[in-house]
Amino acid sequence: MIEIRFHGRGGQGAVTASRLIAEAVAKEGRYAQAIPMYGTERRGAPVTAYVRIDDKPIRRRDLVHEPDIVIVIDPILSRKPSVAAGLKSGGLLLLNYPKPPEEVEIGGGFMVSTVDATTIALETLRRPITNTAVLGAFSKVTGITKLKSLEGAILKRFPGEIGERNIEALRRAYKEVHPPKPAKGSLRPGEELPHVTGYGVLKSVADWRVFRPVVDLEKCVGCRLCWIYCPETAISLVDEKPVIDYDKCKGCGICVHECPVKAIEFVRETV
Amino acid sequence: MTVEVMVGNKAAATAAKLSRVQVAVAFPVTPQTTIVEYLNEFITKGEMDCEFINVEGELTAQVVVQAASRIGVRTFCCTSGPGCLYMHHPMHDTSSLRLPVVMAVVHRGNKGMQPDHTDLMSHIMTGWIQWYVENNQEVLDSIIMAYRVAEDMRVRIPIAVGYDGYILSYTAEPVDIPDQEEVDDFLPPYKPTPSLMPEDFDPKAPRWWRVPWEEHHKVIVDAKEVIKEVNEEFGKRFGRSYGNGLVEEYRCEDAEAVIVAMGTIASTAREAIDNLRAEGKPVGLVKLKCLIPFPYEDFQRIGSEVRAIGMVDRNVCLGVGGVGHTFIRNAIYDLEERPRVLGFHAGLAGKEVKVSDIEHMAEKVLKAARGESVSPLVEWV
Repeated sequence: MIEIRFHGRGGQGAVTASRLIAEAVAKEGRYAQAIPMYGTERRGAPVTAYVRIDDKPIRRRDLVHEPDIVIVIDPILSRKPSVAAGLKSGGLLLLNYPKPPEEVEIGGGFMVSTVDATTIALETLRRPITNTAVLGAFSKVTGITKLKSLEGAILKRFPGEIGERNIEALRRAYKEVHPPKPAKGSLRPGEELPHVTGYGVLKSVADWRVFRPVVDLEKCVGCRLCWIYCPETAISLVDEKPVIDYDKCKGCGICVHECPVKAIEFVRETV
Repeated sequence: MTVEVMVGNKAAATAAKLSRVQVAVAFPVTPQTTIVEYLNEFITKGEMDCEFINVEGELTAQVVVQAASRIGVRTFCCTSGPGCLYMHHPMHDTSSLRLPVVMAVVHRGNKGMQPDHTDLMSHIMTGWIQWYVENNQEVLDSIIMAYRVAEDMRVRIPIAVGYDGYILSYTAEPVDIPDQEEVDDFLPPYKPTPSLMPEDFDPKAPRWWRVPWEEHHKVIVDAKEVIKEVNEEFGKRFGRSYGNGLVEEYRCEDAEAVIVAMGTIASTAREAIDNLRAEGKPVGLVKLKCLIPFPYEDFQRIGSEVRAIGMVDRNVCLGVGGVGHTFIRNAIYDLEERPRVLGFHAGLAGKEVKVSDIEHMAEKVLKAARGESVSPLVEWV
């Protein structure tokens, strides 16, 4: 039995990715189980999903605690060593990360492979939904499912142009993924997993952002619309001009959208 | 037959479609599940000829599904956790009126939103047949079988098919979908009947209530035979059956001790039993699928074959104990040589039940079977 754990955020498609793998595997005549783990999360909150693959029907219904493979589809979570918690010795850590495996800071007795899925997703889908790109990388480095089976599963779920673009993301990642290297980074995973469900008051939601709103105070006319519309009350006014508390900002982009003079720019977060 | 990877909720909706349900009634939002979304997708696409009635609450959902069934159509209802509790009162009427409604209950515990069996178990006195299933295939198969049982003229009792929220409702796995023609052959169109009340029934007569109560109880008890028949016939036609329809024994041959489990815990337990058998430990699993009517005869037979039974209850009747534990002890009381019966409360409020947890329970029950002292007799895992 092969056991996989996904880390991502609501909206990036970790749950869908887990189901696409299960569908592709079933198409190839094997058995799979795709388990999402969520409570009342919103778009942007960290989520976990699990996949089991076997040649015979899968009966156990507990969660996966010692995965063979960990897949992180979010670039910011990819920096957190805790994603590799419980990963089996000799296992594989597949990260959505813009740098080659040698520059990954997470280390341990496992292999690490990287793919810049966010860039691929932005260029093919024009939005940072990274699941299908990461699946292309998964197919290449693990060989567990054929690219063709994944393409079939994607087209079945997303017929038409959206499916075609997702397949483009899948194929690009298949070509561009960095092959696995021993994980030599200095940061060791602890015992504790990152957020498994989304309850509780978070001190900071900065990790949730893919884009960061930046105010150009020269252009700002002090109309307060951004301050009114921010759903997280992350904007306060200092001398009638907005100041963003980036710990509270999830990067939803509403302020960028509402600003009548285009004084707020949406800048991609760098890893 | 086609294989599709689907979540439990889609398996339930697909079963309703294959059963040619004519009226489906549900409260559409939380704590409702995605069953209603799949149903409406089927109806909108023209794959299912069914009237879906949106209502403002589960109490109304149960009343409306009851009315539709009385008018004479095949009906389906679905709910979860608090919604299931909210329809308690009309559920009594649905069963008293002997209406063959089938309802999917996606388990969500009475505390929190994670799964346990306390929602449906709160209805053990409503006169509904209750089944607890362990995988998405069984969700689909059981709902189809439920119509055959519920609509049988010897039964005419509503059936609730319960499956664990999240663990099945949102978990995707391959499910064999039988062809429509095969299901049509197995499940003929619904034949409405007039009231099942006796001809000379007079509600003004003294002690009139005794007749429906006594008859209602007997009919549910006797439904066990129909459930067995339908399960067997399903197995012959579709190649899948679930024990004898009431309980399923897994690796119980020569077992000194057995674990009894329900729902998805039974699925995980198979793995644990295989592990212990590989170590040469004579333990088995009894999956309890049909809680109401309770399979007393099966447990009397099993109780005479083993030295100890361990019931894993994903519920607690507060102030009493585990429902399954209590029922099993009741069943074995008349045996001359009674086995020991241990209890476990596990998986409450969605607490994860691991393979190792069940191994621990089975080993403890085996110790008890071999006359060693074990404590506590009822354990919270």
